[in-house]
Parts: sequence; structure tokens; C-alpha cells
Amino acid sequence: MINDIRNTVLAVLNKNNYGYISPQDFNLYAQQAQMDLFEDYFYAYNYQVNKENQRTSGTGYADIKKGYSEVIDFFSVTSSLTANGAITDGFFLPSVATTGFDYYLINKIFIGNVEAERIEQSKILLLNSSLLTSPSDLFPAYTTQGLTATIYPSPKSTPQCQYIRYPKPPKWTYVDLGSGSEPVFDQTQPDYQDFELFPDDATDLTMKILKYAGVSIREASVVQYAGAEQATENNSEK
Amino acid sequence: MAYISQYEYYQNEGNSPEDINWGSYQYISLKDIVVNYQLMYSGNHSLVNNEERYKILFHAKRAIQELNYDAFKEIKVLQLDVSESLRFILPSDYVNWVRISYYEDGVIRPMVENIQVNSASAYLQDNNYKILFDEYGNILKPEQSPLDLARIQGQKPSIYLNSLSPYNGLLGYEYEGCWYFDFAIGARFGLNTETANSNPTFRVDKKAGVINFNSAMAGNSCILEYVSDGMENGDDTQVTVNKLFEDYVYAYISYQILNGKLGVQEYVVNRARKAKSSLLRNAKIRLSNIHPGRLLMNLRGKDKWIK
Repeated sequence: MINDIRNTVLAVLNKNNYGYISPQDFNLYAQQAQMDLFEDYFYAYNYQVNKENQRTSGTGYADIKKGYSEVIDFFSVTSSLTANGAITDGFFLPSVATTGFDYYLINKIFIGNVEAERIEQSKILLLNSSLLTSPSDLFPAYTTQGLTATIYPSPKSTPQCQYIRYPKPPKWTYVDLGSGSEPVFDQTQPDYQDFELFPDDATDLTMKILKYAGVSIREASVVQYAGAEQATENNSEK
Repeated sequence: MAYISQYEYYQNEGNSPEDINWGSYQYISLKDIVVNYQLMYSGNHSLVNNEERYKILFHAKRAIQELNYDAFKEIKVLQLDVSESLRFILPSDYVNWVRISYYEDGVIRPMVENIQVNSASAYLQDNNYKILFDEYGNILKPEQSPLDLARIQGQKPSIYLNSLSPYNGLLGYEYEGCWYFDFAIGARFGLNTETANSNPTFRVDKKAGVINFNSAMAGNSCILEYVSDGMENGDDTQVTVNKLFEDYVYAYISYQILNGKLGVQEYVVNRARKAKSSLLRNAKIRLSNIHPGRLLMNLRGKDKWIK
């Protein structure tokens, strides 16, 4: 998908001799565009929930929320947490170093089949001193501080975490044919990475990259065009 | 929680204690209540949304506590011997007493609560009745007040017609078929029925956490029937609710959350309140278990001739 999008972007930019973006710039814009769209999924999901509550949403093929849910779940990872020896009952939150991915959102931490509840730092002392609601093995809780989660009470087995990871940064890799020649797309490079978003987001990705490219080459009409296209696309999806 | 097998129910799959699952089907656990509530009554399309689990847990436990105080009719019974100090320390999960009896010769004899005070604290005083203090300005107290001392030593007469009554064991004489006594002739005619009981008496000292008896209870066995709050000393795994009250607990949680939440329309709160009240009423009627078989023997009493 990444090569198609790059070709489209370059085609639009070249159409009126607006300019050219290098593979390095394209990769930067692609990562930024992917993150933008990725974050939009969560807002779009919430928008669909509100529509359902207003009874202006359907079921079956009209269940848009389900689609967003599936896309977000694509980035879901479940892995065990590593103990942080420096903090009592502390466990490192997912990161590249511990679980292989940085987390975008912790959905749940659980011990065995029991889910621990996230508690705000301002509440945890109150909760621990409450006779009725103090965390127990049946109803555990956790707080986060920096990249560490502290679990209450001390877990009897290794806690696990289900989280939404960041999408991997896309990378259009190429073979350099020397000066004066266009770089040629090469997906066999070890650091090649396609977009992780679904193909139906290709248009949005193209428009967003175009927008960034337009800003980069100071071409207001490109930014304007990309912005207008994106707004149309967003409206049609609501 | 999954259903358990018959083997697990009757014999706990060969583990000890064998009886742990007997009758368990009548109850639903606290964990199931919280999980069911989160699944069925809370979420994006429900009235209750974005509520922390600990709030749901809190209200679930409060509902169970309230039910334990009266609606459940689940009485706990504890039997202990009363020492020379004439005290019975209240159980750790005690909330209120239902009946206190003493057990003698195989018979359970309900005791009456003494209408008079039978225990007090006291301050040390000098000959001029001035209160005495220690060097830090704290009041000096005796180990026992004179009232307690007299009661424990059996020197305090009782207004009840038991062994400590001033009239107990006194001789009378018969004249023309009637019995008379040397003191206050005719006094027994105006018998105070409130105190006409020969059993030992007690009084619950809630703050001190003890039941104080009169001296007739020394060495006797006491049976305390009491209600608890169902919190099982903080062990959440043991907290259960009778299934007849399950819907009420859900309704109670919803009401409490909606009632305390900002911006919830009053009609929604009212609807939740009515649901809660009517479900409690229904559950109480169900639990009272009135049916002809239970009434039959009681109703047979109507045929008894009153002479």
C-alpha cells in the first residue's frame, strides 16, 4: 500500500510542477499521517457510540462502530508484565524494551482471570483505607507512575496486560540508482514497513501526506486541496 | 461462575471440608453480582456509564449490609461460657442481638434484658469527693466501679424475681388456705409482670463490646443469637446474597449511582428508586415463604378450647 500512496502523492505534486518530496520526507509525513488517522479511530469510535445512543445508527452492515472496534483491536497486544525491582509490587508498563511495543492505551491489567481496576493517584490512599472497597485478590487495583504500574494487593501470579500499541512507523524503502535517477521501490529491504492501517484509509493517508507535503513546499493550493478532500471524506463517513 | 458438578456439590470433589458447597445454590457471590452488573447494567448504552468498579462494589456491599440487618433473617448463633467476670465479649462480626439465652440442663432459657443499668465506669475520689488525677492531668479510675463490683460479687439485689431478688427464698405462713409473708403483706399482689422472670438478666454494653450479666450467670453457658452485616470479616470471596434478592441488589446499585450523579434527570432517579423499593418488597414476600403447609399446624390452634 505504501508504494501506491507514494506514487499518488508524487503524481499530484508533479501535476502542476508543484515540487517533489524525498523518500526521507515521505516517510516522515507517512508516519505523521498514520498517527493522525490512528488517533482519529478512537474519536470516530466514540462518535459512533454517541450516534447509537441517539438511535441514529444501524445494525448489521450499518454497524460502523463494529468496524472501528475491529481496526483498533488489530493493534491489541496481550503480554506479561515484567517486575520493577525498585518499586514494591511495581511492574513495567509495556515498552519496546519489555514487551516489544510502546503502548498507546492500557486497556486492562489482569491477574489470572481477575481484572485490576485503574485508580487515580489521588484516590488510591483513600481506597486502601476504606473497609468496604480496599483492593483484594477478587477486586485488585493498580496505579501508574511513569512507566511503572503498582498493583494492589501484591499479586499472587504474574500480571498480564492487554493494550493498544502504536502502529509501526511506515518506511518506503528503495534502491538508489545514482544521481539523476529516481529511487526504485524495494520492499525486500530489512527495514521495510508498510502502513498498518487498513486499505480503506489509503485516501485519507494520501490526503494527509499531501497536506504535509504542501506545507513543506509552501504550496497553499495543495494544502487547500488536501484539506477540502479530507473534509469531504470525513463528512461522507458520518 | 460456572455451575459445579454434583460430585463437587455433595463431596467437594473429595476435598476438605466436604460440606463447603451444601446449599450454595441459594446464593450468588459478590463477585458475580459486580461482574453481572458491569456486564448488564453499565456501559455505553446504559443509564450507568463510566463508573469506577469500586463504586459498584461499594454499593453492592452496602446493599448486602442493609439486607443482613433485617430482610435476610439470617441469624448467627454463638454459644460461650460466661466467666466469673460475668462478661460475654461480642463476636467480631456482631451488629445487633436478636435473643440471648442461657443453656441449662438441656433447656434453652431466653433471658430478659435488664431495664436497669448494671455496669458503669467510675472515677477515684478523695474524702471530700474531689476527683483524683495523675501527674499528667488524667483522671484516675478504679478497675471496677462499685456497681460492677457488687454485681460480680453477687451483692446487688435484683428487681427481677430470680435468685437475687430480696424476696427469694423467704418463708411465709399459711392462714386459712392463703400464704402470707412477714413483710409488706399484700405487696406481691401488685406483681410487676415486666420484672417477673426468674432467669438471669443481661444488658448489652455496645461501646465496651460486651454483654454484662448478673451474678447468677457465672459459669453458665450463654447462647447469643445475633445479626451481622454479611461482610464475612472482609473476605470478599465469602460474601453472598440470597438469589431472591439478586435483582434488588442490582436495582439498589443503579439507584445509588444515579441518585449521586450530576445531571441525571429526576424522573430517572425516581424510576430507579421505585424499582429498588418494589424489588425489596417482592423479595421480602418471597423470602417469608408463606404457604399453606407452613400455616397448617399454627391454624390448628384455632380449634383449642379456651377455658
